[in-house]
Amino acid sequence: MTAAALPVERHGDSLWRRALRKFRRDRVGMLALLVVGSYAVIAAGVMLGWWATGWAEISGPKWAPVSAEHWLGTNIIGQDIFSRAIYSTRTAFEVGLVVAIGATLVGAVLGALAGFYSATWVDEIVIWLMGVLDSVPFILLVAAIAYSLQDSPWSMHIAMIVTFWIGTARLVRGEVIKLKGLEFVESAHAIGLNRLSIIFRHILPNTFHILLVQATISFVAAIKSEVILSFLGLGVKDGMSWGLMISESTFEVLAGYFNNFIAASVLMFGLVMAFNMFSDALQDALDPRTVKSP
Amino acid sequence: MEVLLYSLRKVIAGIPLVLGVTLISFLLIVYFGPDKTYELVGKNPTAEQIAEVRSQLGYDQPFVTRYVRYLQEIVTLDFGNSESTDEKVSSILARTIPVSLLLAMPGFILGNGLGVALALVAAYFRGGFIDKLIMGSAAVGMSVSFLIAIIAFQILLSSSDGLNLFPVRGWDTSTPLAYIQHVTVPTLATVFVALGYNTRFYRAVIVEEMTRDHVRTARAFGVPPARIFYRNILKNSMVPIVTRVVFSIPLIIISGSLLLESYFGIPGIGKVTYDAIVTGDQPVLKAVVALTAILFVVAQLLTDICYRLVDPRVSLR
Repeated sequence: MTAAALPVERHGDSLWRRALRKFRRDRVGMLALLVVGSYAVIAAGVMLGWWATGWAEISGPKWAPVSAEHWLGTNIIGQDIFSRAIYSTRTAFEVGLVVAIGATLVGAVLGALAGFYSATWVDEIVIWLMGVLDSVPFILLVAAIAYSLQDSPWSMHIAMIVTFWIGTARLVRGEVIKLKGLEFVESAHAIGLNRLSIIFRHILPNTFHILLVQATISFVAAIKSEVILSFLGLGVKDGMSWGLMISESTFEVLAGYFNNFIAASVLMFGLVMAFNMFSDALQDALDPRTVKSP
Repeated sequence: MEVLLYSLRKVIAGIPLVLGVTLISFLLIVYFGPDKTYELVGKNPTAEQIAEVRSQLGYDQPFVTRYVRYLQEIVTLDFGNSESTDEKVSSILARTIPVSLLLAMPGFILGNGLGVALALVAAYFRGGFIDKLIMGSAAVGMSVSFLIAIIAFQILLSSSDGLNLFPVRGWDTSTPLAYIQHVTVPTLATVFVALGYNTRFYRAVIVEEMTRDHVRTARAFGVPPARIFYRNILKNSMVPIVTRVVFSIPLIIISGSLLLESYFGIPGIGKVTYDAIVTGDQPVLKAVVALTAILFVVAQLLTDICYRLVDPRVSLR
């Protein structure tokens, strides 16, 4: 890093403090965070049983129009579309969080090991594994995993983690190769720390900014994949999700009833769009090349 | 000669990858896959009958023998017969792959061509209103699920609630007009979804090339902008662009088509794969997984070799 790239540093200024300052000034990013936060509150409320508890009940006539009782009408068998759409927010967060955390953890550990032991057999094996998994098309991998797990409800999550860790691992590996030549790692070696503690306590925490951005990217990818997999019958097995609502609605739209389709599409679009914006703003804020002092 | 040796080395380096992908498909679909014995034996089988079926299926063989037998099947393209239609798997593939290509090609070409064009416009007006407009639309396009785009286009263009211009579903290539009618809605949905990602990626590539020192130098020397644009920017951007295009070829054949074909009822490889997933048709599934994965590795090899042809700086080690 040259002096030109890092402008006047304040005392105690860290990457995180500067990133936070930059992020706060990013209006689009803050708005996106607000939207994602609202969705998270909705999802938490569903988990705690505050609302949308009657999503599975048949509470009205078939295809009831919008009314005070059914805010978005009812579906083909008379279930309330509004509570189903709200309940699905919880499913989206569940899938997104499980996959984002799982994929980021696997990617961080394997990427760090490959980077630290670069150009040894450990590295070779990780690179080979990434190449192999990258070569199997995603939907086929999910199908194959679902096939061998005999319809386990977790086959979708597992397949996504198996695919999504690769991007994170590639970035972490590159960063670790850069970091392991720096002085603080040398000093850690010098005072006789063992290698695992150097990798996981001293090097890996310094890649946290990469992990955070990658986790948001995996979250969005998981929500989008869930819709397609649920439609194909490979996704959510019990419960309700936007993907299942949209696949229900494929019959309804041909009969001219759009409430189910629109409710699920708009809610999903809002979350994905906000998360994409949030992810972009986060990336900008954490990129050391673009951080400028105010 | 040098290039030939380089290609040969790349092919040898691809062998572990091919072994890896075949191993994964073997493990998931054949080795840990469902036990087929009881679907094949009759009612009230004796112990000998069960043992006979198991040895037919190779279940009594050790792991390595079964894996080698699977590799032989792939090399000879002899995957046996489909369990649901009893058609030979290789003839199913020969019949359905052209359909998928016809379906995917227009969307693929338009999606990438328009993506590069929009990216060039956005990069040219970098930071201005047009750039913000294009990139904003790309962000919106990226957030729309493929499935939602398909249904929305179907409602708008093929249903009686919309313009009702095209057939709702199905496939017909008997005349050019019928082909255009059936391919339009799937193509629009594909382009709509791919365009956001493509434009964003290509713009980043082109902006990176635009800010290089040699471009600034050329500008300072008074080289005409059109010439800088073609020789210094476009030519250099071609390497990552070609990589992305080649890499997505195996994916459009399978993943893209799987959803489109099962939704519109188009008899391509994606539909066959979907049916095989739903019915658990092992011979079809293992053929498709193995072949697409191998196709992907081959595409990677070809890109590496193309790199060498396009960019002489890539070392031949």
